[in-house]
Amino acid sequence: MESIIEVQNLRKTYRKRRSKEYVHAVSDISFKVNRGEILGLLGPNGAGKTTTIKMICGLLIPDSGMIRINGIDNKEKRLKALRHISAVLEGNRNLYWRLTVRENLEYFAGNRGMSRKDVIDQVEDLLLKFNLKGKENELVNRLSRGMQQKLAIAVAMLAESDVILLDEPTLGLDVETGYEVREILKAIVRDYNRTIIISSHDMDVIQDICERTVIINQGKIVTDDRVENLLKLFEIRAYTITLGDILNSQQQQLLLQKFPQHDYQQDTYQSILNIELAKSEGIYDLFDVLKLNNTPVEAIDRRTINFEQIFMKIVKGEKQDALAQSS
Amino acid sequence: MRWLNLLKANTKKEYIELKRYLPNTIAMLLTFYIIFVGMFAGIQLIGDPSTQDSNIQYAIVNYIFWFLSFMVINSIGYEIINEAMKGTLEQLSMSPMGMWRIMTVRLISTTFINLVIVIVLLYLSMATAGQWLNIDVITIAPILLLTVISMFGVGFIIAGISIILKQVQAFLQILQFILMALTFIPLSVSPVLAFLPFVQGIDMVREVMIHGAAFNQLQVGDFMILGFNALFYFAIGIGVFLYCERVAMKKGLMAHY
Repeated sequence: MESIIEVQNLRKTYRKRRSKEYVHAVSDISFKVNRGEILGLLGPNGAGKTTTIKMICGLLIPDSGMIRINGIDNKEKRLKALRHISAVLEGNRNLYWRLTVRENLEYFAGNRGMSRKDVIDQVEDLLLKFNLKGKENELVNRLSRGMQQKLAIAVAMLAESDVILLDEPTLGLDVETGYEVREILKAIVRDYNRTIIISSHDMDVIQDICERTVIINQGKIVTDDRVENLLKLFEIRAYTITLGDILNSQQQQLLLQKFPQHDYQQDTYQSILNIELAKSEGIYDLFDVLKLNNTPVEAIDRRTINFEQIFMKIVKGEKQDALAQSS
Repeated sequence: MRWLNLLKANTKKEYIELKRYLPNTIAMLLTFYIIFVGMFAGIQLIGDPSTQDSNIQYAIVNYIFWFLSFMVINSIGYEIINEAMKGTLEQLSMSPMGMWRIMTVRLISTTFINLVIVIVLLYLSMATAGQWLNIDVITIAPILLLTVISMFGVGFIIAGISIILKQVQAFLQILQFILMALTFIPLSVSPVLAFLPFVQGIDMVREVMIHGAAFNQLQVGDFMILGFNALFYFAIGIGVFLYCERVAMKKGLMAHY
């Protein structure tokens, strides 16, 4: 697959204010983004996500390393590279609040050298697609946070760039608008064949719309993999079993021998058993224990791991353990 | 064509914002007019009656040019500060046209809009003072154009400094007094001041508007100094601006305020 963005050995160091200390915001980061891909850039606060995004946008000059956008080195030919990129940066600071929705769209298109005539049809199309029709003559400061965010994405779309970078696109949005923004992002990739890079803390957004994630921690890439691979890698065979009776002492003894990590909570009429199996066949051993006293099984629920838990495990360095176990 | 689209977009934005902040614009215009009336009254009250007419004519031209230089040079500094505060400075910096081009067209549109205001202020001042100056558009236009280009250069230096430092409001306030000195001091006092930005231009405009000089009566040497100043200060301004933009991008200062 053709890469539209190539990031190679990127480094950026900041000097702390009023101090001689340096902060390594980004240390030797390399990754590629394929055309038409949605890439999630994840990491805890201060991991280096925004610094990486700003270097790709040409807003920050890296100390060393190289960024190629559509084959153009953005250090050597910054303005040429910028033709292929547009971005919605974090917060609601991407628009002119005293201009209307339409005026903002037309102004930013003009700022990229496009004429009003060139973009008139696209403006209408985007107003419709982004549910902003009827609001086009409204001042931006009178719009809701969600509307402003949708407009900021529409402005980035109007740039006709190949790549759109979004820094925390769902931050501060309510559930409904967050969902709407997610659907819009999916439609952008589906209908317009644009490449999207999203930096977000919202794991649902990443799990829902990204094909691949790059996880950064302390300025370094700790994972670069497809979302489904990560989900598989951290898949666990953990079960919560609701029993219609309490286990007798013999059963409890056997459980302790066969499943030393289990958690058993008993109530007056029923009990709950939390168990993690190393292999799927282990479930038969469990049934043997239950059969000893014909303990009725009321429910078996498999616990799943979500992307947020995976992220936490990766950041804490548990990926290596998972890889070792799976092999 | 891309330049023209950029100019159109920015002129429209300036015009819209001027309309949306109309009370602010009117208040500013009134303030400048009231200050002029105060100055005019002062000359009439305590000035030498034998040179009163000439003093008033000088006051009108100097004051109008101070207003223009103040609006053109300071406005770009304030634009940078405002864009940084609003958070849109980074969006401007991401334009493939380059921020210096956006700032150039903003200077052109600001100057154009302010010229209209200056013309209104000029005729208002002349009517108030009852002193009608020689408005020879054909002679004044090229002088004004070259003078404004050197003002752009100074504007770019201010813009560059504003990108890095942001908190330059106090400096911009002091700058208006420096500009006042440059516009009010006649070149005859110190001819070397001709090499400072826009001083030569204002002196030539004074020759036309007050003493009625025609285009062919102006010195070729004066035009050469004017042209040199325009090129020199504009080039220096762009150079300083691009350098400051690079420093801001290296240190990550673009989004800071």
